[in-house]
Amino acid sequence: MMKRIQAELSFLRALIGVNLASAMEYRASFISQIVGMFINNGIYFVFWIIFFNQFGTVRGYNMDEIFLLFAIVTLGYGLGFMFAGNTRQYMAYLVAQGRLDYYLVFPRNLLLHVIFSKMIVSTVGDVAFGLIAYSFTGRFTLVEMGLFLLTAVFAAIIFVGYSVITGSLAFYMGNAQYASQQVTNAMLTFSLYPNSLFSGASRMMLYTVIPAAFVGAVPVDIVRYHDGRLLLLLAGTAVLIWLLALALFYYGLRRYESGSAINVNV
Amino acid sequence: MLLQLRRTTTKYTAITMTNLQNQLAYVWEALNRAVFIVLIMFVFVQLWTAVYETQGATEIAGLSLQATIWYFLIAEVMELGKIRHDERISEEVKDGSVAYTLTRPYNYLAYHFFNGLGETAVKMTLIFLLGLPLVVYYAGWPTVAPGQLLPVLLVGALAMLLDFFAFSIIGLLAFVTEDTFSFRLIYQKFVFILGGLMLPLDFLPGWLQPLARVLPFNLTTYAPAKLFVAFSWAQFWQILGLQILWLTIFGLILLRQYRWATKQLVVNGG
Repeated sequence: MMKRIQAELSFLRALIGVNLASAMEYRASFISQIVGMFINNGIYFVFWIIFFNQFGTVRGYNMDEIFLLFAIVTLGYGLGFMFAGNTRQYMAYLVAQGRLDYYLVFPRNLLLHVIFSKMIVSTVGDVAFGLIAYSFTGRFTLVEMGLFLLTAVFAAIIFVGYSVITGSLAFYMGNAQYASQQVTNAMLTFSLYPNSLFSGASRMMLYTVIPAAFVGAVPVDIVRYHDGRLLLLLAGTAVLIWLLALALFYYGLRRYESGSAINVNV
Repeated sequence: MLLQLRRTTTKYTAITMTNLQNQLAYVWEALNRAVFIVLIMFVFVQLWTAVYETQGATEIAGLSLQATIWYFLIAEVMELGKIRHDERISEEVKDGSVAYTLTRPYNYLAYHFFNGLGETAVKMTLIFLLGLPLVVYYAGWPTVAPGQLLPVLLVGALAMLLDFFAFSIIGLLAFVTEDTFSFRLIYQKFVFILGGLMLPLDFLPGWLQPLARVLPFNLTTYAPAKLFVAFSWAQFWQILGLQILWLTIFGLILLRQYRWATKQLVVNGG
């Protein structure tokens, strides 16, 4: 068992290494994507700075909470998709086009092999941005920094798990590229806005169908209030989302039809 | 002369119509992409409702909550419906197909403009129609005098043209740099803040407003949206003058850049 886990881990390390080497082959594009994403996140930051300067606190949120929210969401998103980028619309495309054959013939864990086969280069910019954004929060005690990193890792696990769910929709819907892209984008968009803006059914949605609260608002509250119970809830949610992702992926795999495409991965 | 003009008009109209037919054939895909407007408008409605509530104000900088919601719909229609030909130019340079498209019997940039018009017409219509029910539900119908609709449409058309010029400058950079991702991103982000996509210019701090108003970014997004919700002839003439000024500046840059870029171009493949 331990040997099997070690073999899988060393395979994943090799995959990540190859992805990184392949991305860095086009050095100018690699750097411009990272810098571009950093600027992209920075502009949203500028928006919030102007917004809170003009309008003050809105429903319990001010700039301090936004620094922390951006730090956790961008670091979580970046960590998740920097390593496991072959989810969402990319996975939906593989399934709909019958291009999973390439992965099926390998004696490796199928789902891990699929999702770790792509690196989203721009997410390196997200990781850097998340860490820098945290430095503006002024929360530098060991407990707070530890909780920040821990919740960002949970956010990464939830982001990837949820995008496996949306990518797996292709097993059931056929062409689910747009649907998976839109739903995952929705999760990211909602997570970057103060949770207190939403109420009623839309708030309920952020804790269930589009679990944006678990990658944004809940981690922010954990770091702000050092709330252990919320941390347990976050961990439980991560497990639940991954159980659902595994069930949807492997149950859906029974419905998979090969596209008989000649697939050359270089 | 007249015959030449007729031939040119027929040629570019055919380009627009062909792409329009293509877009209509894949209208379901366009619809899927346009669904984003519902999400972003919902978020904006919640955010600005909270702001007006917190401020306890019926108007902020002369705009009511209803006007602000309509402002964002029009600004998003302008932003999401724009012609995105710079990516296509970058792809053409990367795969070498630019060697063929440059030598075809049409003006290279005019081709991209008229080709993009067909796509833009479908995108803008779908985005507006999808956002409309949500906006009407939260903000009701806008009050626009029929006499003001024509100037707003004129400013909207010039906004599209100005944006096309800006993206052409970015696209032609691909002749040298191949990839234009970061240039595009930086331009778009300027539109987000200084162009009024995320905040109407009237909500910006006093020191930033004068600068934002003379820069070209607001003329592509803020200008048509603001005139739509709060029309004034004085602002219309000011915007129109600035649009013509920036169109002239960008047009001159494009003329020189096109000559320079075609000399720098190295075509890949064979």
